[in-house]
Amino acid sequence: MIEDPSDSRDAHDAAFLERVAGPLRAPELLDETFEARLMEKVRLEGSLYRPASPTAGSTSWWRTERAVRVSPLRGLAVAAGLAGVIALSTLADDSRSGSESLAAAKSPAAMAAARSDTVHVVRFVFVDSRASTVEIVGDFNAWTRGVTRLERSAAPGVWSASVALPAGRHEYAFIINGSRWIADPRAPTTSDDFGTESTVIHVGPSQQSTT
Amino acid sequence: MIAAVLAGDAESFAGLVRRYQDTCTRFAVRMLGSRADADDVLQAAFMRAYRGLRGCQDRERFGGWLYQIVVNECRTFASRQKKRELRFIADNEAIDRAVASASEHEMEKDLGTHVELALGMLPAEQREAFLLKYVEELSYEEISGITGVGISALKMRVKRACDGLRDLLEGVYHD
Repeated sequence: MIEDPSDSRDAHDAAFLERVAGPLRAPELLDETFEARLMEKVRLEGSLYRPASPTAGSTSWWRTERAVRVSPLRGLAVAAGLAGVIALSTLADDSRSGSESLAAAKSPAAMAAARSDTVHVVRFVFVDSRASTVEIVGDFNAWTRGVTRLERSAAPGVWSASVALPAGRHEYAFIINGSRWIADPRAPTTSDDFGTESTVIHVGPSQQSTT
Repeated sequence: MIAAVLAGDAESFAGLVRRYQDTCTRFAVRMLGSRADADDVLQAAFMRAYRGLRGCQDRERFGGWLYQIVVNECRTFASRQKKRELRFIADNEAIDRAVASASEHEMEKDLGTHVELALGMLPAEQREAFLLKYVEELSYEEISGITGVGISALKMRVKRACDGLRDLLEGVYHD
């Protein structure tokens, strides 16, 4: 079969471009003081944006410490709720142990969520037999590295971590070996105009799946 | 996090920095050819983003909005740098000798270094278009939205960048 010269040319060009662009896609890291220096400038500017409530002062409501009075009965109810979450997670893990490891082995990543009325515990599972470290960053930990590391499980190449998330929309991504940033390959991802992919999860009573 | 910053919690801006720093850094380092310069430019870009954050309340658009700022800061920096070089280095033969010397030295290094060196020799607008298209892997529509340059002009810049890289790297790749 005679090869179309234009196809050959296109393939040649694509191969050349890949060889050129490949090395340029390697991550670059700045001085580790970059963020501290930047945030110092931000603090020097002062808060440019004021809270909506005139009584809230310069501290946002979610950073304000609050004294909450809890009656013994209500305290018991909250404790029961948290214990329920743990029990739910544990039960879910036990009941899935066989099939989940099989599913995990089949797929690069999978996620299971257990819900309760008070706390949503989301278990993140990532599979990569060549990874030496796996961590997860997301809006729930302010995209901070080194905070939420996945632990190796008994199954080869399977990493997991359980994270307590408030209800709502969350974005996250995995960081492999401290540098490679990838969105959850098993879940639908969102790519912003930046070309940076992350995964979106909606946590709440009626939704457990990623969108 | 954007909502938090706009509500007066300046510390939440650190989360946005962490989220987007890596991609911004790669682009700026490739564009400017220097981590030190990229550091300066990104400090300025993130500060501009902080000051102008109210103009971007749609968090789905924050990445593209920030990218516009980074691209513009890189352009401004490169433009100032070019003026400085024109002012202080008028000896074209000296420049040629320096480039040739650097090229010979870099020949001994790895392939990535050759590519970075060749990229640095392209005109800034071609380098920018090439990086956004093939390194950041954005569509022409996205690049047009970020740079404000028309799609046909972008395609021409990318084609010229590819041609230029092919010429510059001819001796490196033996196809």
